[in-house]
Amino acid sequence: MSENSSSRAFIERPRGSCALAGAMTTITALPRGIPILHAAPGCAGNAAWTQLGGGGLQVGGYCGSLSVACSNIQEREVVFGGDQRLREQIEHTFKVLDGDLYVIASGCVPAMIGDDVKAVASEFIDSGKPLIVASTSGFKGNTQLGYDLVLEAIARQFVKKGIKKHKGKVNLLGIVPNWDVFWRGNIVGVKQLLQSLGLEVNAYFSHEDTMAEIANSSAAELNIVVSGAYGILAARAYEEVHGIPWLSLPLPIGSAASAEFLKTVGHALGIPGNKINSQIHKAEDEYYHYVSTLSDCYSDMDLQRYAVIIGDANYAAALPRFLADDLGWLPELTVCTEDLDVAAQDRVKAAINVIESELRPELVFDSNTARLLEYLERRHPRYPEDNYYQDPLSPAIVIGSSLDRTFAASIGAAHLSVSFPVANRAVLDRGYTGYTGGLRLIEDLLGAIVLGR
Amino acid sequence: MSNDYFKQTVAPRRESRLKAGIAYGGKVCQFAGSFGCDGKRKDGFRPCMERNERGFSQGSICLLLPALGTIGTLPDTAVLLHGAVGCGSSMHAVACNVRSGANARWGKPGDASWMSTAMNEVDVITGGEAKLARAIEEIDATRHPSTIIVVSGCIPGITGDDVEAVIANVQERVKAKVLPVHCEGFKTKIWATAYDAYYHAFGRHLFEKPDDAPELTGEERSMSVNLLNVSSMGRIDEAELERLLKMFGLKVNIFPVFAKPQDIWKVTRAALSISTCPTHDDYLLTHLQEKYNIPYVLRHMPIGIENTGIWLREIGKAVGKEHEVDIIIKHEERVLRKALEPFLPFFKGKRIFLSAGEYRTLATANLLVELGFEIAALRPFHHDEFAEVEYSKLVAHSKDFTLNIANCQPFEEANLLKKLKPDLFMGHLVGNSTASKLGIPTHTIYNIGLNYVGYKGVFELARRLYRHLRNPNFHRTLSVHAKLPYFDSWYAEDAFKFIKTAPEQEE
Repeated sequence: MSENSSSRAFIERPRGSCALAGAMTTITALPRGIPILHAAPGCAGNAAWTQLGGGGLQVGGYCGSLSVACSNIQEREVVFGGDQRLREQIEHTFKVLDGDLYVIASGCVPAMIGDDVKAVASEFIDSGKPLIVASTSGFKGNTQLGYDLVLEAIARQFVKKGIKKHKGKVNLLGIVPNWDVFWRGNIVGVKQLLQSLGLEVNAYFSHEDTMAEIANSSAAELNIVVSGAYGILAARAYEEVHGIPWLSLPLPIGSAASAEFLKTVGHALGIPGNKINSQIHKAEDEYYHYVSTLSDCYSDMDLQRYAVIIGDANYAAALPRFLADDLGWLPELTVCTEDLDVAAQDRVKAAINVIESELRPELVFDSNTARLLEYLERRHPRYPEDNYYQDPLSPAIVIGSSLDRTFAASIGAAHLSVSFPVANRAVLDRGYTGYTGGLRLIEDLLGAIVLGR
Repeated sequence: MSNDYFKQTVAPRRESRLKAGIAYGGKVCQFAGSFGCDGKRKDGFRPCMERNERGFSQGSICLLLPALGTIGTLPDTAVLLHGAVGCGSSMHAVACNVRSGANARWGKPGDASWMSTAMNEVDVITGGEAKLARAIEEIDATRHPSTIIVVSGCIPGITGDDVEAVIANVQERVKAKVLPVHCEGFKTKIWATAYDAYYHAFGRHLFEKPDDAPELTGEERSMSVNLLNVSSMGRIDEAELERLLKMFGLKVNIFPVFAKPQDIWKVTRAALSISTCPTHDDYLLTHLQEKYNIPYVLRHMPIGIENTGIWLREIGKAVGKEHEVDIIIKHEERVLRKALEPFLPFFKGKRIFLSAGEYRTLATANLLVELGFEIAALRPFHHDEFAEVEYSKLVAHSKDFTLNIANCQPFEEANLLKKLKPDLFMGHLVGNSTASKLGIPTHTIYNIGLNYVGYKGVFELARRLYRHLRNPNFHRTLSVHAKLPYFDSWYAEDAFKFIKTAPEQEE
């Protein structure tokens, strides 16, 4: 069911920021990437303060936060145009900021006053500095779009054209730096799954990635997008420009989803079934070696839970299956807090639909979470108050963002922040993907339940 | 200064109103000499011209951010951001402060309430007036806040949305009081214009006593003072100032953070307004004096021993308690100085580097000089005439040092830090990582949750700095591994290379 928000007059507490903010943090997360913002003076600070509020204590990067180059355009540029200010800014950026790729991300104001950013950038073609342009006005959309626009610009403007395909090489898309607060660990978790099949992975943002390898990413035989919504523009650009096919799969969290992920990717790349199965067997053996330790407490402390999931397109799609299949929980409602196009909505639905039907949660697309209780009661109606016997949604946990704590308290549920904003957790390399990530998530979920023990 | 400004729909930019500037690099004695701190005024020469700028610049903030820092705390209020979906997403940081601030004041964490009209590609072409009107009506009908504050960003400033007209029109149909705060980021380089922007809106829309509210009695009014806090102080700082003001028998009305919108009119019924920072409050206090005859105390910030005393003396004088104030100050200073003794040998001669809002930077520098530190450099965010008095105090007590007026610009900071190698850095929120990555222990210059102001603030800050200086290993080891994004060649350059000094103008 979709609560169509495109006609809405407002979004309540948007869970993230705009395309420019997403572009800025994405460029910062690239190996030695240098953002050059062509934007009004507050845009960089706004992105940094947003990270400060919801980013799991991560702000900035190598060249991030207030260190990014920014033209800081003023009323004068609004009247006379910002091309000259941008030109001066690029020229001087090359003298001060040391990087391997310079990306101009332009914001709302230059787009509205008609600055020709591409034309200004093309004047620097002989500078010897790699410089590309992404048009990322905030009015185009949210942070995740900014991520996609930057990767699309990289695919079209930076990645080498016409190089030979390399068997066993793949690119990993779909995990948005910073706005998925667990991005670092999630990227590593998926990389490890792919590496277990013998694949060579360019993941753009992991510690081992380099700009030289990103330039060679056109040699990949497949692009793997671990999202129904993010990275699709980039994957399409790779397909169009470099002839690389792509697969969109849900974020593989935990054992059941990881096994399916390995099978799907393995089959797409023609990896022998016995090789895939033996990897899965080995990983599951280890996973359940640890999980089996829980069997006493799972019963003794009655650790099965109803769950309400509130998250971005990746978590709303992936968490219910993990809860239903790996933990044996009851995900009742999953709310995707983003405006998605129909194709992306269908991919999220498909990820939910792998759950057997009687355990499948109700799926709602709504950026305004003020109606959470209404959705929940539709799914799990309250008995009349004077009934002596009640069947509330309890025991329950809300897996959402730190904004959902009040809602969780209102239904007497435990709470864990996973989707942006994550104000109340410190996250460095923690991730929930793959087998190891599944174990981490079990620890965190049960940890939230036994917090007061 | 006349405050006819409040008759206009929009507050003026500080570049025009105060000739405020953001770009200067040099030495403090030369700078302070230019406005006569050392008695050698060079008439007409202003080193930090409002038209100075940079040929290379880094990310900054705009007036929208500090504006939301205050507006976002008002209870029973919906903050409606009119702009692109990310404009004002800094509310996520404000939300953390609202949570802890409400808890500190009322024993229960609060939830910030904000919405965005999320203007899209269609709205940019058609304008956002209809959408804004619908948003106000829907929020009023479904959320029932007492107040809806429409904060407009850059986009409506270019599409030319007539936010005032939309509000005037919608107001007839909605229950909530609706007011506009204009925060088009491209319109001013001086983000302190933020304070003027929302004070302007409060003054125009919330200063009338509601008909159903009982008028304050003469006695209530005579002992009531406004204490202004625009969210640079947490509850713990407010409590310290309240403690001091209560010694005069004054009843303190804290405004505007966490102020209930329906009570804001009471600010016009006080006997005196007390500021802790002229950068924040001059615009409003002038208005309160001119329109409501409320005198004010504005010139000093109660940070540091001497400054807290000066601040108290001005208040004592204003309320006719000069004698009491002397006794209070004498007692407070004696107890504080004794408490500080164990720390002072440790601080002696250690060199500090500060970067933040102009007045806060200067007052904190004065405090640190009192503790025995030496100043390596200061980087105030901007400059206007109100700071001259604070520069005078510094120049009197300190050796010459590097002064860099900059709206952040960490590349200049990194260059200076490498050369000056201070022992301690104090920067604004989201402004400490450059120093930290260079191995310098850091402490945020204001953090709403920690105590900085009044006598207690001096002691608490000393306690914290002692702790940071005792074990700076986080920063030391980080600096071995972390790399800043600048070419090595940049550090050999003049830090002020990209500052373009505007030609002097006829006034």
